Amino acid sequence: MTATPILTPTPILTVAGVVHAYGDKPVLRGVDLTLTPGEIYALLGPNGAGKTTLIKTICGRLRPDAGTVALKGQDPARVPAARACLGLAPQEIALYGHLTVAENLAAFASLAGIAAKAVPAAVERALTLTRTVDRAHVPIRHLSGGYQRRANIAAAIVHQPSLLILDEPTVGVDVDAREALDAVVRGLRDIGVAVLLVTHDLEQAGALADRVGFLRDGRMMLEGEPRALIAEAFGVQMEVLVELLAEPDAAGELRLAAEGLVRATRRAHLWTRLDVDGYAAAGRLDKRLRKAGLIPREIRVRQPSLQNLFTLVAERKQAA
Amino acid sequence: MIGLEMILAMVRVMALELWRDRAALVMTFLLPPLVFLIFSSVFAGATGEDIKPKLAVADLAQTETTGRLLKALLASSEIRAEAVTPATIAAVRARVKSGQADAGLVLRADPAAAGRPFLIIADPGRAVAAPLAQARVQQALVRAAPDAALRRSVDQIRPAIGDLTADQVDNLDMAASILRAKPPEATAGDLFDREDLLGARKGGAVIAYYAGAVLILFALFSAMQGALGLMDERRSGVADRLLSGVAGMGPVITGKFVFLVGQGLVQAVMIFATAQIVYGVAVVGHLGLWLPTTLATAICAAGLALGLVSICRTREQAQMLSTFVILILAAIGGSMVPRFLMPAWLQTVGWFTPHAWVIDAYQGILWRDATLSGVYKAWGVLTASGVVGLALAQTLARLSRR
Repeated sequence: MTATPILTPTPILTVAGVVHAYGDKPVLRGVDLTLTPGEIYALLGPNGAGKTTLIKTICGRLRPDAGTVALKGQDPARVPAARACLGLAPQEIALYGHLTVAENLAAFASLAGIAAKAVPAAVERALTLTRTVDRAHVPIRHLSGGYQRRANIAAAIVHQPSLLILDEPTVGVDVDAREALDAVVRGLRDIGVAVLLVTHDLEQAGALADRVGFLRDGRMMLEGEPRALIAEAFGVQMEVLVELLAEPDAAGELRLAAEGLVRATRRAHLWTRLDVDGYAAAGRLDKRLRKAGLIPREIRVRQPSLQNLFTLVAERKQAA
Repeated sequence: MIGLEMILAMVRVMALELWRDRAALVMTFLLPPLVFLIFSSVFAGATGEDIKPKLAVADLAQTETTGRLLKALLASSEIRAEAVTPATIAAVRARVKSGQADAGLVLRADPAAAGRPFLIIADPGRAVAAPLAQARVQQALVRAAPDAALRRSVDQIRPAIGDLTADQVDNLDMAASILRAKPPEATAGDLFDREDLLGARKGGAVIAYYAGAVLILFALFSAMQGALGLMDERRSGVADRLLSGVAGMGPVITGKFVFLVGQGLVQAVMIFATAQIVYGVAVVGHLGLWLPTTLATAICAAGLALGLVSICRTREQAQMLSTFVILILAAIGGSMVPRFLMPAWLQTVGWFTPHAWVIDAYQGILWRDATLSGVYKAWGVLTASGVVGLALAQTLARLSRR
């Protein structure tokens, strides 16, 4: 009997032990990161964590003080051709407003080095993948926010990169537009594009990412598959969410704190806690709160999310 | 080949952006010929005999001769005279002070009388108006009251020749009455004949001057606006996108440069076509030297604009710097006021601006029929300035990868 070899896909991106400082201020302190084809990796972290600097080193715009960055085995800072496999969709709508979507794509295709004859096909492909065919001839400035975001991605993939970096792709878009964007990103993954998603949107990261990494103070604090990370961090605990009818007074806040509830940052009047005894705990909590005059509009129980994990990482960091 | 396609892609982007921004299109291509028309109308007239100052006149003397002079002034086509009412010095002063007249004239006594019978009231803000009005009044006096002029002339030479005899006085009276009855022809007694140079239309030198002056002003202004796109590209993330790609910003800057040079050429065609059609400036006849001069001008404007914008960190900085530079260079270089009106030291400083070189080259070609030896220096200075600006922009773009 012969053993079947396990095929590990060759990484498109390898970041190994990258260190970078601006003057005497360290920004990246030994970051490791790999991305393989057809994988979505969500890079999470608060402002100032070092995400932008990490992207710049991946794009070859910064040479790390220590460590290496390789795109398909080549250093993007030293070998410009290595950057051919990279597409960047910046946080801003990085397009020419007076030009139509198709004209923008044609321009960026040419600027990415695609020969003139191949440009129309490349544009058509990018329009199809980002589902913007019906807006191809509309000037960017006349598009809705969601379509602008999709066109922004289209310009990043028009030269068929193997690695797509999406920097905050859902800023300023509504729920429908976000779902459409998610579908575009999944479609790109399905054809083998590796996606590095840099976002504050933990919900989107949880829904899309195959792996997530928490960057904080220039270090990768946590990395792995979202469900595995959550399971490892919270075990069987469930998140109990209490939405109150009204904002509690000082006494009410003390009472909520005594119940182990903390204010959720997402919505007003929303309080949350983790409990191993999920649904039963929710029932007991409801009675006690009503008795104390704190009337819940709704109490929900759900699996902990990346938000909880993010908070936990932050708390651990603070405690440390 | 791919590099060329990248550059052309950028040229196309800029052309489409400009084409779809109608306000920018008007500013770039219609405003320059319009401003040129205004400047050339103003300054071509200012150097010729077309200025007709507005003169407020009060006849305090009320003599028969001052009556004739006033009538002649009111009828003159060379000056716009008006008799003020009431006929007082105060009324004349008020007209001049309020700007309703360029200068004032008070006829205090009969012109045949001794002393200074006339008073000119001048507005220092319109310094050229008073001497011009004075000359027009003297001309009118000679034509309308030659007898009075004759008597004043005799009075002026009397200290040298002594008192007139009775016969001489009779002869003078007779001559005066003849002159009064039949004034001499307008040009009789003129000291000068006149020859106009080159057979060109009146004001041609100034028109050639202002064609160049307005071209470099607007070529630089429009190039700055176009180059500000670099700042928009930084702000919108386009620069981030391109810097993460294979080519970087190099082809973008070269593409912008090529477009801005083309834009400058079109602006030149608009301005000089206007000069040829409206004023008969012989542009087509000098095409051989006009074309390289125009190309050098466009290269200079495009390169300087890109270089200047590249040294700024923000759009606001670039906007402020470009406004400052454009206005200062235009003022010193002669785009606003003719250089020959400037003091000598400022004319020397002007050679440090592209404006002076552009103006000198175009005036040389179109007015003085200069040959290659008269313009090659300007071509060199302008092209070198543009190339230095472009090189600066390319270098800073490479450094800005970080």
